[in-house]
Amino acid sequence: MVNPLTTATERIGDGWRSLPRAVRWLFTAAFVAFLVILPMITVPILNTPDSDFPTLLFDKIGLYILMGIGLNVVVGKAGLLDLGYVAFFAIGAYTMAQLGVLAHWSFWVILPFGVLMAMGAGVILGLPTLRLRGDYLAIVTMGFGEIIRITALNTDWLGAARGIPNIPWPSPLGPLSFDNILDPKPFYWLLLVLIIIVIWALGRLDRSRVGRAWEAVREDEDAAELMGVQTLKYKLWAFAIGAGIGGLGGVMYAAKSGFISPDNFPLTLSVMFLAIVVLGGSGHIPGVVLGAFAVSYLPERLRGFTEYRVLLFGAALVIMMNLRPEGLLPRRVRGRVASEEIGEPLKGVDNA
Amino acid sequence: MPDALLEFKNVTMRFGGVTALDQVSVEVRQGEIAALIGPNGAGKTTVFNVITGVYSPTHGDVEFKGQSIVGKKRSEITRSGIARTFQNIRLFHEMTALENVLVGADAHSKSSVPGALLGLPRKRREERAAHEKAMELMEFMGVSHRAHALAKGLPYGDQRRLEICRALATNPELLLLDEPAAGFTPVEKELLGEQIKAVRDRGFTVLLIEHDMSLVMGISDRVMVLDFGRKIADGLPSDVQNDQRVIAAYLGVPTDAA
Amino acid sequence: MDFSTLTSQFGSLTFDGLVLGAIYALVALGYTLVYGVLRLINFAHSEIFMLGTYGALFATQWMHIPPFGDNRTGLSLVLTLVAVSLVAMTVSGTSAVLLERIAYRRLRRRGGSRLTALISAIGASLFLQEAIAIWRGRNYEAFPRFLEKKTLFTVFGADIRTDKLIIVVSAIAMMWALERFISRTRLGRGIRAVAQSPETSILMGVNIDRVITLTFLLGGIMAGLAGALNEVYYEQTRFSIGVILGMKAFTAAVLGGIGNLRGALLGGIVLGVVESYGGAVFGASWRDVVAFVILVLVLMFRPTGLLGETMQKARA
Ligand SMILES: Nc1ncnc2c1ncn2[C@@H]1O[C@H](COP(=O)(O)OP(=O)(O)OP(=O)(O)O)[C@@H](O)[C@H]1O
Ligand SMILES: [Mg+2]
Repeated sequence: MVNPLTTATERIGDGWRSLPRAVRWLFTAAFVAFLVILPMITVPILNTPDSDFPTLLFDKIGLYILMGIGLNVVVGKAGLLDLGYVAFFAIGAYTMAQLGVLAHWSFWVILPFGVLMAMGAGVILGLPTLRLRGDYLAIVTMGFGEIIRITALNTDWLGAARGIPNIPWPSPLGPLSFDNILDPKPFYWLLLVLIIIVIWALGRLDRSRVGRAWEAVREDEDAAELMGVQTLKYKLWAFAIGAGIGGLGGVMYAAKSGFISPDNFPLTLSVMFLAIVVLGGSGHIPGVVLGAFAVSYLPERLRGFTEYRVLLFGAALVIMMNLRPEGLLPRRVRGRVASEEIGEPLKGVDNA
Repeated sequence: MPDALLEFKNVTMRFGGVTALDQVSVEVRQGEIAALIGPNGAGKTTVFNVITGVYSPTHGDVEFKGQSIVGKKRSEITRSGIARTFQNIRLFHEMTALENVLVGADAHSKSSVPGALLGLPRKRREERAAHEKAMELMEFMGVSHRAHALAKGLPYGDQRRLEICRALATNPELLLLDEPAAGFTPVEKELLGEQIKAVRDRGFTVLLIEHDMSLVMGISDRVMVLDFGRKIADGLPSDVQNDQRVIAAYLGVPTDAA
Repeated sequence: MDFSTLTSQFGSLTFDGLVLGAIYALVALGYTLVYGVLRLINFAHSEIFMLGTYGALFATQWMHIPPFGDNRTGLSLVLTLVAVSLVAMTVSGTSAVLLERIAYRRLRRRGGSRLTALISAIGASLFLQEAIAIWRGRNYEAFPRFLEKKTLFTVFGADIRTDKLIIVVSAIAMMWALERFISRTRLGRGIRAVAQSPETSILMGVNIDRVITLTFLLGGIMAGLAGALNEVYYEQTRFSIGVILGMKAFTAAVLGGIGNLRGALLGGIVLGVVESYGGAVFGASWRDVVAFVILVLVLMFRPTGLLGETMQKARA
C-alpha cells in the first residue's frame, strides 16, 4: 500500500539529507529566527481568534512540545509506556513553587534543581518498576501520577486543595526581562532556548550507544540483554531523562502562571501527553512537534470544538492504532518498508 | 581436564512437568569447534538458554573460565565472553544492519549518557572503534554491502549471517550458534562451514547446534549428542557417527538406554 | 497515623472492606478473563463498569423510582434489584462486546503489538468517558434509594446492613455461577482452551473470535453487576467513576494472579479489606494511595500474584 503522506515525508527527508551541510545550517537558522519573531508578528493562517497567540505559544504549544519530547524518550525511544508522566510535570512545578515561595530561591537556581528532583523521582519510581512487563508498567505509572496528585491534595504543607499562589517571577537574565507580568514573550523565548538545547542533547544521545540501546530494548528487550545491553540501566536512563524534561516543563509552567494547585495535574493531562507522542508518530522530534501542535493548537484555532476535544482525541487514538499505528509522520522510512509494529507482538511469545 | 573453557555440569532443567535436560554434562574446550546435535526437542536450545542465563538450571552448575555463571545477569554473561545467535532470527528489525552489529560492539564500550552528552574524547574513540569493528566483521561475513539497509529488509541468509556478526561484535571467547545453516542451500552451507572455521581460526571457540550432518561432521572437532534431554554420546565425529545409540535416536528406534 | 479506630472498629472495618472487595472482585474478573485469553490489559474495562452504573440509573428512572421514600421490601425489592442489575448487565455486556469489535479485533487480526492495543484501549476509554460527560454533564447524578438501609444484626461489632449484605451475597453468587459456567460448559471449556494455547485451540477447531466475544461478554456482565451494586451502595455516579475503581480492580486482579478467576476474588477481598484498614489508620483521603502502594509492592515482590497465573502458561 503506497501511502501518499509517507511518500511525501520520505521525499522531504531524502531531499533534506541530500542538501549540503552549510545549506541545512542556514535553513535551520532561518527557521529558528522565524520562531523567535513569531510572537511579535501576525501570521494570518496561524492566528487564533479567541486566545492571545503569544500566550498560546508558551502555554500549550511550547510546553506541550517540550512535554512531548520528554515523554517521547520514554515511550517512543525506549518503548516504555508511561501513563503518569504528569507526575514529573507536577514535581517540577511544586519544586518551583515551594522553593520560590518558602525559600526565596532564584528561578535560575530552581530550574536545574527542579529537573534533578524530577529525575530523582523517576529513578525512585523506575528502579522497582522497570523490571515489570510493559503493560504492568503502564498501570503502575498511572497509579504514581495519581499518588502525586493525591499527596499534593492532602498535604497542607503543599497547599492542599488551595494550591500555592504568589510564585515569584524570574529575575532578568541577559536580554530577557520578566518584569511585565502580562508579557508572555520572555517565557516563550526562554522555553524556545530550552527546547533547542533539549533537542540538541537528545540528538547526541540518539547517535550514540545510548540511542542504539534504547532502540534495541524497544524492539526486543530479551535479545538486547543477551547482546550485552544492560537493559535495566538504559531503561532507567530513559525514564530519568524523560522525567527531567517533564520537571523542566513543570518549573516553567509554575513560574509563568504564578499559581498552581492539584487541579492543574489531572490524569487526563498524562493521556494528552501520550496522545502527542502517539499521534505524530512516536520516536522522532518532527512527529512529536506535529502531535503537540495537533493537541494544543487545533482546539484553540477551531473553537467550539473544545468541548469535544478529549472525545476526538480518544477516537483518534483508536482509529490511529487501527489504521496507522506508526503515527502521522512515521519514524524511519528508509528502506521503504512500512513499519507496522512497535513493541512485542500481541500473541505468540517465542522462547529465546 | 585442561583447557575447558565452558563446563556444563550435571545440569537438570525442568519446565513444570517437562524435563528438558536431565543431568547433562557438556564441556567446550578452548579453540575447538564443538557440535551439539540431536533430534527435535532433544534440549539443544535449552542448553544455550541455560548457558546464556535465560533460564536458571533446576540443578547443576555452569562454569565459564572456571567460574560459576549461574544466576548472573544475562548481559553480564555476554560481556564476560559468551555470545549467541538464535534459532528463530531475533535481529532488531527496525535498525539497519550496521546498527545491529554496533549494538553488539557496544557491549564493551565504557561511555554512557554523560559521555554522549558531553562528546567526550573517549566516547568518540569508542564510537569510531565500534564502527570499524562492525564494518570489518560484516566484510568478513559477506554482508557489508547491506550495511545501511534495515535488518528486516535483508534476504534470509544475510539475516542469519548478520546475527553471527552481531554476536562476534561482542568479542566473545565462546560463540554459540543455534542452527545457523537452517534453510540454507548446500552451496550456502558449505560457505558457512568455511566461515565458521575461519571464525575459529581467529581465536574464537565455537559451540554449534546443527541438524545438517555433513556440515557438522565436516567442521567439528568434537560432537555431542542429546536425546530426550540426555547426553547419549560425546566424541570425535567419526566415532559418534557410528555409535549405535545415536543411530537409533535418529532413526527413532525406542531405546531403553542404560 | 491512628491505630485506635482500627482496633476499636475492627469488625465493621473488615465487613466494609469485604463489601468494597466484592465490587472490586467483580470488576477484576473482567480484567482477568480478557488477560487470560488475550494477554491484554483491557484498559477500557473501567468504562464498561461506568456504563453499568448508568444502566442501573436508567433502569430506576424507567421504573419511576423516586429519589427516596420508596422503600421496597420482600419480593418487590428482589424484583427491583434483579431488574436494575439486568439492565446494567445488558448495557455493560453489550458495550464490552462492541468495544472488542471496534478497538481490538482489527488490531488482533493484524498481529499488532501490545503497546498498540493498549493505546487503542486508552483511546476507547477516553472516548467513552467523554461521551458520557458531554451527554450527562460532569457532575455526580444521584441514584434513588429504594430500600431501607438498616442494620439486620451485629457480628463481632460489625453492623450487617441490608445493602451491604445484598452486595456481598449477590457478588459471591454471581462469581460462583461464572466459575461453574467456565468449568462445566462447552463454551467455558473453549475459553480455557484458548487461554492455555491459542494456536492449538485454532488447530482443534475452536472458533477463536467467538471465544473472545464470549470472554468480553462475561467480563462485561460482571462489571455491569458491579455497577449496579456500586449504585445501591454509594448512590451516585458520573463519567469518571470508573477510573480509580478500574485501577483498584486491576490491582486486585494482579494481586490474586492475573488470569486466575479465584485469584480475582481473593485479590478483590484482600485489597478491599486492606484499603479499609489503611483508610482507618492513615485517614480516608489516603485510601487510594494505600491501594496503589499495594499494587507496586505486589508487582515488585510477587508479580505472579497470590495464587499464580493459572489460566495461562507463564513463559519467558
Ligand atoms: N520455556 C519453556 N517452557 C516449557 N517447555 C520448554 C521451554 N523451553 C523448552 N521447552 C521444552 O523443552 C524441550 C527441549 O526443547 P529445546 O528447544 O531445547 O529443543 P531443541 O533440541 O532445541 O529442538 P529443535 O531441534 O526443535 O530446536 C522441548 O520439549 C520443549 O517443549
Ligand atoms: Mg532448538
